[in-house]
Amino acid sequence: MRKRRILLVDDEASITRALAMYLTENGDCEVCVENKGSRALAAARSFKPDLIFLDIVMPDADGGALAAEIQGDPVLKGTPIVFLTALVSRRETGGTTMTIGGYPFLAKPVHPETVLASIAEHARERA
Amino acid sequence: MAAAVAASILWPDALIDQEILAGGLALISALLLAHYRGWPLVTVLLAVGLVALVVMHLSPLYFGGALRGPFLILFVVAPYISIALGAGWFGEVRRYQAELRATQLQLIQSEKLDSVGRMAAGVAHEVKNPLMMILTGIKVLAKRVPDADEQTRLLLQDMEEAVERADRIIGGLLNYSRDRDLDLATADLNDTIERSSMLVKHDLENAHITLVSTLAQDLPKLQLDEFKMQQVFVNLVTNAIHAIERDGEISITTVLEKMTRGTLVGNRKADRFSIGERVVVVRIEDSGPGIPEEHLHKIFDPFFSTKPTGRGTGLGLSVSQQIVEMHGGTIEVGNRDTGGARVTVTLKVDREEAPS
Repeated sequence: MRKRRILLVDDEASITRALAMYLTENGDCEVCVENKGSRALAAARSFKPDLIFLDIVMPDADGGALAAEIQGDPVLKGTPIVFLTALVSRRETGGTTMTIGGYPFLAKPVHPETVLASIAEHARERA
Repeated sequence: MAAAVAASILWPDALIDQEILAGGLALISALLLAHYRGWPLVTVLLAVGLVALVVMHLSPLYFGGALRGPFLILFVVAPYISIALGAGWFGEVRRYQAELRATQLQLIQSEKLDSVGRMAAGVAHEVKNPLMMILTGIKVLAKRVPDADEQTRLLLQDMEEAVERADRIIGGLLNYSRDRDLDLATADLNDTIERSSMLVKHDLENAHITLVSTLAQDLPKLQLDEFKMQQVFVNLVTNAIHAIERDGEISITTVLEKMTRGTLVGNRKADRFSIGERVVVVRIEDSGPGIPEEHLHKIFDPFFSTKPTGRGTGLGLSVSQQIVEMHGGTIEVGNRDTGGARVTVTLKVDREEAPS
């Protein structure tokens, strides 16, 4: 089985850098990082991820609108998306994934182990 | 208490005085009225009454106006009556002032809580991102040095715990700003207290503290948000544990009582306790050192804490107060005569829903 392709979209470069490092070193993942929300759609088209972790609040794009664009894209349609958000506390989610607009989300600060578990749960399987 | 006797008012022939007639004296009395003399009762600013000598034509007191004795008595007695009335009047003023001050304090407190809520949402987003970066960085480092020496391992563990602590504080702030709604259901307060006790059992055992519960069996069911009310009791017992530190006793008592004084809760008229109203009272008492007098007035302030850094966010009592007041109740903190602190939570039995 090939490595899972994970796209991290978050305007905080320090987060994506550290998370990419963790996922690459500790998960069977190939990670692509995009720190500009406005370029996320293009990055996704080019990378063809099995799962996208998408920040909701970014200075140049709204995560919710971006998710709708991804799902409306003929190439990317059906790509699983998990929101990352600092708007909700981990306690409110009960430490598990819940959904926003039908998409699961993880409350920041997320343990990278939880991100790995989320990949195992939601990433698209490809032979 | 200052009092004065103003000049007396004399009506030598009261029968023809229309003011007296209009003042309520019955016509039959007016016909017999021979002499009237009144002494206004004056406190510092206000006339608070009038003492009067009314003499009828047939009265043995009336012998062609020879009324010097009774007038003298009135002259001497009037100031004392003024003082007595004035004392009552000033007592009223003092009571109103105290109520006004309490209401003002509640308004200030409420404004403080709102400010904290507004600030929390903004701060949360800005702080959670760096926390996530640090947490992920710690995990990367921990994986990269699997054979780290004990000190390095502890250092990484401490760093992770510090992130968790900061996240808890931020989470507390977010809850604080959002928890404005209650999920009310008919509930047994004693059950809520017992469930809360279970949640702190471990902490009690670790600190060698005995929890003694004396729960009245005749409590009526209340409309409660059980989860939030549980949070209140966990907060209060946790505070008591931290105050005792080690080896002591905490008692929780519930009792059905009738209010002996009126109390205003928040700004909602419907939440005013009236005298004689049925209330459920929960008292949590501890054998700790009590609360210094100078801390009592700010104990409900958000972020006020006397606990060591990392042990408390300073939000526990504020949140508890907010939750109890949302239930239309009151929470009071004081010291017991025999030492230790006492927290009293008073909840309405028959609560009318009021527009907030």
